Amino acid sequence: MSRRYAWPALVLACVGFAFLYVPLFTLVAYSFNESQRVTMWTRFSTRWYAALAGSQELIDATLMSVKIATLSATMAVIVGTAAAIALARYKRFRGRGLLMLAVTVPLATPEVLIGFSLLLLFVGLGIERGVLTVVIAHTTLGIAYVTVVVQARLASFDRSLEEAAADLGGRPLAVFKLVTLPLLMPGLVAGWLLTFVLSLDDLVLANFVNGPGTSTLPMVVFGRVRTGLSPEVNALAAIFIAFVTVTLAVVLLLERSNTAHAAAQD
Amino acid sequence: MSAGPRPVSPGSLIALPPVFWLGIFFVVPFLFVLMISLATPQIGRPPYVLGFSLDSYAAIFGDAKYLDALLNSLRLASLTTLLTLILGFPMAYVMARAAPGPRAVMLLLVFIPFWTASLLRIYAWMALLQEGGIVNRVLIMLGVIDRPLTLLYTTGSILVGMVYAYLPFMVLPLFAVLSRLDWRLLDAASDLGARPPVTFLRITLPLAAPGILAGSLLVFVPALGEFVVPELLGGQSGLMIGKLIWYEFFNSNDWPRAAALSVSFVVVILSLPLLGQLRGRRPEAGA
Amino acid sequence: MHRRQSSPWTKALGAALGLAALLQGCSSGQGHGPEEKVVNIYNWPNGIDPDTIKLFERETGIKVRYGIFDSSEVLQAKMLAGNSGYDVVVPSGPFLQRMLQSGLFQPLKREAIPNLRNLDPVLMRKVAVYDPGGRYSVPYVWTTIGVGYNIEKVKARMPDAPLDSLDMVFKPEVAARFQDCGITWIDAPAEILPLALGYLGLDPNSDRPADLDRAQHLVRAVRPYIRYINSAKYMDDLANGETCVALGWSGDILLAKAKAEQSAREAGIKPTPITYSIPREGTSASFDMMAIPVDAPHPGNAHKFLDFILRAQTQARIANVMTFANANAASWPLIRPEIRDNPQIFPPPERRNALWVVKAASPALDRMRTDIWASMIAGRAP
Repeated sequence: MSRRYAWPALVLACVGFAFLYVPLFTLVAYSFNESQRVTMWTRFSTRWYAALAGSQELIDATLMSVKIATLSATMAVIVGTAAAIALARYKRFRGRGLLMLAVTVPLATPEVLIGFSLLLLFVGLGIERGVLTVVIAHTTLGIAYVTVVVQARLASFDRSLEEAAADLGGRPLAVFKLVTLPLLMPGLVAGWLLTFVLSLDDLVLANFVNGPGTSTLPMVVFGRVRTGLSPEVNALAAIFIAFVTVTLAVVLLLERSNTAHAAAQD
Repeated sequence: MSAGPRPVSPGSLIALPPVFWLGIFFVVPFLFVLMISLATPQIGRPPYVLGFSLDSYAAIFGDAKYLDALLNSLRLASLTTLLTLILGFPMAYVMARAAPGPRAVMLLLVFIPFWTASLLRIYAWMALLQEGGIVNRVLIMLGVIDRPLTLLYTTGSILVGMVYAYLPFMVLPLFAVLSRLDWRLLDAASDLGARPPVTFLRITLPLAAPGILAGSLLVFVPALGEFVVPELLGGQSGLMIGKLIWYEFFNSNDWPRAAALSVSFVVVILSLPLLGQLRGRRPEAGA
Repeated sequence: MHRRQSSPWTKALGAALGLAALLQGCSSGQGHGPEEKVVNIYNWPNGIDPDTIKLFERETGIKVRYGIFDSSEVLQAKMLAGNSGYDVVVPSGPFLQRMLQSGLFQPLKREAIPNLRNLDPVLMRKVAVYDPGGRYSVPYVWTTIGVGYNIEKVKARMPDAPLDSLDMVFKPEVAARFQDCGITWIDAPAEILPLALGYLGLDPNSDRPADLDRAQHLVRAVRPYIRYINSAKYMDDLANGETCVALGWSGDILLAKAKAEQSAREAGIKPTPITYSIPREGTSASFDMMAIPVDAPHPGNAHKFLDFILRAQTQARIANVMTFANANAASWPLIRPEIRDNPQIFPPPERRNALWVVKAASPALDRMRTDIWASMIAGRAP
């Protein structure tokens, strides 16, 4: 068997990963810095973690953002996958052209516009602004992303598996659940993650459609920029990283032991 | 599907949820904005009078600064897309070809930065690139330079920030497609005597095309309207169209003009692929 | 929407209208009995100290929900869209004036705010241009616009630098000397352009194209020497020593100075030497006003909040903690001397008369200002 991949790919990939992680190391390193200023290292200290624990504003905003992001990502995946399947598989149904436009235009539309027009809609309909409206805004944007990703995956699909399942007597819904969905899964997960990140990071949309009492994390962080970001937010970032690393590691380990287990049973 | 002709096609049915959602939460608001773009501004609530006036559009097409801002943004978005592709393709490729063990680790590594607010990571870059920041300190320590370089608030720092923010949006779609690739095709090609660059160009690249397209779409288009990154990391970078739209909405209180600018922007972007097709390029696959 | 009948779009439209009707029913209706014990405030970040909020909550049992906006422009847009959900908002003067013209605020019930008597009549006359008779608003804090310096770096480049003059940020020959160590401006055309007009000896509130043309030439001539134009990052950069000259709000710059000193003390090193100076060519007094939106859900609580703020002790505490000047004469004896007698925070009465106020702009003036500003940033003639 030949080498798995040429060295240029490996080198560039390493550069890419390093690029992703340099700021993260900085963030984490300075979360343990005693001094407030990021340009000065004085000595090791955990004071910012203590400050974070006492910062109700940051904690509330974080929980709020995570909640909104989870809801938006889930909704976006459900609706977006439906759109992707409809567009990729069914070449002629009424309104197809319009659907195609409706899933791509949000990508092209400046967030200022989406946020603003949604605000007008909510005011016009008398919908109270809060978590619901922010979730709606993020989902709408997320649908566009999910559709693009899932469609790309569908495009590189091998339909023979589905056809085989159908030939064996599987009904459309069962074929979908047992064959199509698992094969689509990487695309769905990718779409979910993209929307989650979009929502977690969004500043503009939330600014427009949120209500009193729904401050999201980016808004709070951005508000603190003016007086200089205190390393509490570094501590927050470090905690996020630790939490996610542990969770993902556990999930992946479980999945591998599952597959190993299933393989062992064959 | 094998069943006979039905009164309602399944495509219609499956399309119903997205159509419903996007209809009420995107199309209708967009139509509002279209209406406002044809209105005339006034002082009061709302700050416009509905009607039919093309004044706002005329003003936009008659003023060079709007075109300037658009070209500026196009330039930035193209560079960002190119750089994320160059950096992201090897990452996705290596991940897709890896054995399940290392692949899992790499997936982990790609996802972790995702979960820190991108705003924070941008601030980290600000700290890194400052005159008193780490990059300069290290370079001085190594003796490469004696006075700190101005790295921050330049076009370079904007690009760094943009690539950083948009990299995952290129890597994930690429990975989603590349992971479906049948690697035996590559092995077969090299067994037949093809050298690696050839295999890459003639086999890998075309098969990865849907992923490249998807990734480029998810980077280029939103990057066009981006203005948070240039705001924070930029200095004398000129006006971006996203910022211009912001100014029109907020500073000049001219909602019709802001609406007209946004609508024009969307129309221009949507017509870009059409222009591409007109010049004889391959139409988008599966999009 | 679509021509043929069984299109999913028609079905969707029907469902959408149904949902809209449903949502209309369960929307936030006003007038549901006595006010909930909540008050929603919309203010600048760092616009108020947390202790004041806690004291208010403890005394009245009313929960404060605090939302932040980072520019008056955003506040204005949200208010113009309607039904913002806020009870107390804090726009700056000219924006208050414009929003009043659009009928966005409700008149204050003066009997519910007895502490109105604490306000200084001289300063109240200044804000009368925004709100004649003070029927809708009360001044909260005020600042001036001026220049903050890193004194060491500035003197190193030009020992006789005109520190009290706008030459530092408006005159190309002078600004060029500091280009390498970094000059910054706030991103506020509605403040900077009047400042430029005043610098040129013209009426800051002028809307004559000839005057604005001169202002435009001025800003375009000096733009190449400005490192960036941004209202969010300049404080931190000045405090860090990344920039050396900053045109901005006195409140921000003095806060940056305080933070620089604090972190330097902790680290045991010398702090970045920052000073602020009010330009001798004249500048504006920038007032932040508190007002109650016409559709506020809890107007009674809003009035209580305003009255609480206007107490001498409250405004004194805010001044002491956040180093903002206020218009509350009753609070002045309670303010620390370092702040009250600091001419950079509380300009003495003679200088106060020289301060002008920026009035709300007509749409034509807004348009001119935005065009000048955007073209300047784009680097070309409009």
